[in-house]
Amino acid sequence: MLGLNLPVVIVLAAVGGVLAWRRANTLTWLLYTWVALWAFFKYGFAVPIPQSVATIYLGITGLALVCFASSSRERLSETAQPIVRLILEPRYRLALAGLLVALPALAAYNVYADLNVPLEAPGFGREVHPPPPTEMTVHDETVDMATAENPYLHYNHDDPELYGEHLENGRRIYYENCFWCHGDGMGGDGMFAHGLNPVPSNFNDVGTLPILQSSFVHWRIAKGAPGLPGAGTPWDSMMPAWEKFLTTEEMWDVNLFIYDFNGYEPRALGQH
Amino acid sequence: MATLAAAVLLVALPAGGQVDLGTEEQRAAGKIVYDKYCGQCHGDTGDGNGYATPRVKPKPRDFTTGTYKFRTTPNGMLPTDDDLRRVIEIGAPYTSMPGWPNLTSAEIQNVIYYIKSFSPDFENPDRYGEPIEIPRPLESTEESIARGRVVYEEQGCAACHGEVGRGDGPSAPTLVNDKGDPIKVADLTQRWTYRGGATKEDIYRTFSTGLNGTPMPSYADSLEIEDRQHLVNYVYSLGDGDDPNYGTLITAVYSEEPIDLQDGETLDALFETAPMTRFPLVGQISEPGRNFFPSVTSIEAQAVYNRDEIAFRVRWHDLRADTSGRNNPSLEVPMWDEDNGIGDDGGDSDDFFGEFGGEEAPAEDDFFGDSGGDDFFGDGGDDFFGAADAGPPGAEFSDAVALQFPASLAPEGTPELKPYFLYGDSQNPVDLWFVNLTYGVADTFRGRGSESIEPTEADIVEAVTSYDQGQWTVTYKRRRSSRAGVSFAEQQYTPVAFSVWDGFNRERGNKRALSSWFYVYTEPSVQPATTFPIVRAAVIVLVLELLVVFLVRRRARRQAAGEEAAGGTLAATEAPAV
Ligand code: HEC
Ligand code: HEC
Ligand code: HEC
Repeated sequence: MLGLNLPVVIVLAAVGGVLAWRRANTLTWLLYTWVALWAFFKYGFAVPIPQSVATIYLGITGLALVCFASSSRERLSETAQPIVRLILEPRYRLALAGLLVALPALAAYNVYADLNVPLEAPGFGREVHPPPPTEMTVHDETVDMATAENPYLHYNHDDPELYGEHLENGRRIYYENCFWCHGDGMGGDGMFAHGLNPVPSNFNDVGTLPILQSSFVHWRIAKGAPGLPGAGTPWDSMMPAWEKFLTTEEMWDVNLFIYDFNGYEPRALGQH
Repeated sequence: MATLAAAVLLVALPAGGQVDLGTEEQRAAGKIVYDKYCGQCHGDTGDGNGYATPRVKPKPRDFTTGTYKFRTTPNGMLPTDDDLRRVIEIGAPYTSMPGWPNLTSAEIQNVIYYIKSFSPDFENPDRYGEPIEIPRPLESTEESIARGRVVYEEQGCAACHGEVGRGDGPSAPTLVNDKGDPIKVADLTQRWTYRGGATKEDIYRTFSTGLNGTPMPSYADSLEIEDRQHLVNYVYSLGDGDDPNYGTLITAVYSEEPIDLQDGETLDALFETAPMTRFPLVGQISEPGRNFFPSVTSIEAQAVYNRDEIAFRVRWHDLRADTSGRNNPSLEVPMWDEDNGIGDDGGDSDDFFGEFGGEEAPAEDDFFGDSGGDDFFGDGGDDFFGAADAGPPGAEFSDAVALQFPASLAPEGTPELKPYFLYGDSQNPVDLWFVNLTYGVADTFRGRGSESIEPTEADIVEAVTSYDQGQWTVTYKRRRSSRAGVSFAEQQYTPVAFSVWDGFNRERGNKRALSSWFYVYTEPSVQPATTFPIVRAAVIVLVLELLVVFLVRRRARRQAAGEEAAGGTLAATEAPAV
């Protein structure tokens, strides 16, 4: 859900709850806020957010916390009190010594870990749904992207039998051509998917087919990766240009089939 | 009909028998699941003839025969429902049979009932066997593994699976399944590709019950339980981990040493220091020459460089060295080889690239080339299903490999820009370092798309090759700076992609296994010191800490002094107000 790592979020919230219940002092709260945020950034997301972004947020939060603590004399003294006592009272001497050793060790480890992050291949963002051209030519026919629609979609209501035939043909096309990448169940997880970057689109996903017009999908099927603008990193994607292999009718049929299989309808024309 | 008969039988059977064909409703519900998710491969009538069938290998199971591979039941018997459930839930890795985690338990049970209705065998109580017992694995001690190795040799596993398990045994090229289709022997070193599962229990089950319909026999009768457990430990020890750990980056390490391709030992020692990355390969299916079932599914790569030169080493497993045929990146291929019939020319006659026929192999490209022709009829190979009738597969095409680099690095400002991964494009060409393993030398090509691949001679790339126990190793070397192509500067990320051709699988030209773009990174020749920054961080923090302690104490002391002077009685240890 929301790409969050729920167990981590729950644990962090629980710790906060315990602190509230034990009426923790201001210093503890400030520390908790910062550490919890750090942990949230590091472990709270299913797909971790970039280190640099996290560092900026943590820096800003740290500043905000300092401002908060020093916003009034009372608050400052309230915050500093536990620290001062730790430093001055003899019964905390051991704890103080421990802290004096632990913090530099932590800092050293942090630097060490930073120096030893495994190298990674550079990654680049790509636009998943870049704007299509206004028109395109498929098999010598010009297709106006603003008005084109799947010509067989209306059979769904007008002629279910004919609709069924087009669907069945689309099914054939799909399982002769597409499932290696897009998967047998269209989850984007076909037997070749692990070797592809970008990964094949997941047609089960509500964020894919339902938000696209059938003409957009037709463009992607006909022109494949080579037809993408630069923002879509056409050089990386293995999506073939199907006009090389399929007739126009076959491309509309498979278009029909991938919508129908997932129980979706294309976004209507003129709807943004 | 079958369902009707089944329904009648159900009534007639004694209660408690293993025959359980479900109710009419369950089978009807199973049919709905099957028609949506399974029929396109297994055929709407269960005969294994779906839309995808001509283009996948292994073929989808023909459910009318009652022959199943992955079973806990003895050789030749029907699988249990749990066996079928296992396959349906997790699939058969590296085949087109996917797992179906989205189906509910009830849906799976229903589809199992429906699948069983395709074959009358499931109505026959004699075809059911007790599942075998799978003992807990023995501890994997050195003795156990050594004993397992002896069993492996004695039982002749190596005839098919090869001496070290890479699927390159002498019989491997001749094997077919009971439908006469060529079948690939499992590569025991790549456990993640085991179709029936990769745990020790799975391995024990596989060779105890055999895989029905394939040459993989059952050893239930010939092996004591304990020996089987040792064998499991040995087979397991051959594996290169549970996970392929596919990477995205080759790190080229710096060396002061000269790189001499002719001095094998020093070269090996040099590469010992370089990390190895494994990359996934898939079939080229985006353009004509579509390779729906590539033989090779991964390649390992490493790199070293010195002041002037850079060397790459790649390795992959191949069941046989095909070193007598032709191959080059632009050899013409049909749209796709219709049935990939080994030794037949393949290709629809009406395909786009039909001219293939005019390019027949010259007669010298004989089938029994020196590439190990004498192995074909090695021990046992022809015992199984008379594979020899089909004739030994030809070595018309040789094995080959290529590294692909962009001809130039991405321009400033668009670091993501690369040439099209399929042999480049007209604006952004690629360079191919191609090695036809018949000759074992590197040829360089410049690609501007699949239709435009020309030999170039701008740079000299050297290569040495070797084939050992089912593994090809190819080592390349080139000067780091190039006149026409990409130069390898220090600390530079350079895109790289791979292609592998298996001549045995008739891979040639654009019919190949290939990878997406990955990167090679030339590590700095002088590694930055690490101790200093670590110590510095610790010292800075310590100094800050001591400063705070000092300031707080001084202040407290002063305060105490001030208060004493003022006649106060506060003890110094009590917290002063800040
Ligand atoms: C070789 C692998 C491969 C095959 C085969 C393949 N695709 Fe794709 N496809 C991809 C990849 C990778 C993407 C995502 C990257 C991109 O957008 O180009 C994609 C994207 C798409 C998209 C765009 C979806 C979106 O959200 O914009 C459509 C539509 C599509 N594929 C349809 C098909 C159809 C229909 C077939 C069969 C006729 C097919 N694909 C076969 C790899 C493949
Ligand atoms: C894209 C093609 C494809 C689809 C879709 C597919 N299968 Fe398979 N199936 C295969 C292939 C290929 C094999 C053979 C694997 C092998 O021989 O290693 C297979 C094998 C099997 C087996 C036999 C395993 C054995 O022990 O021999 C069962 C059972 C099975 N499939 C059930 C299903 C069910 C149920 C579905 C639908 C939910 C399904 N399959 C969908 C391709 C497919
Ligand atoms: C006659 C040739 C032959 C012999 C002998 C043979 N195998 Fe196999 N084995 C095969 C074939 C072919 C396969 C692949 C079957 C498939 O994928 O359908 C296989 C597959 C396997 C697998 C992997 C199964 C899976 O889940 O993918 C294991 C493990 C295995 N064999 C172990 C052994 C052991 C151990 C021995 C000796 C005791 C042995 N084999 C002897 C031909 C043979």
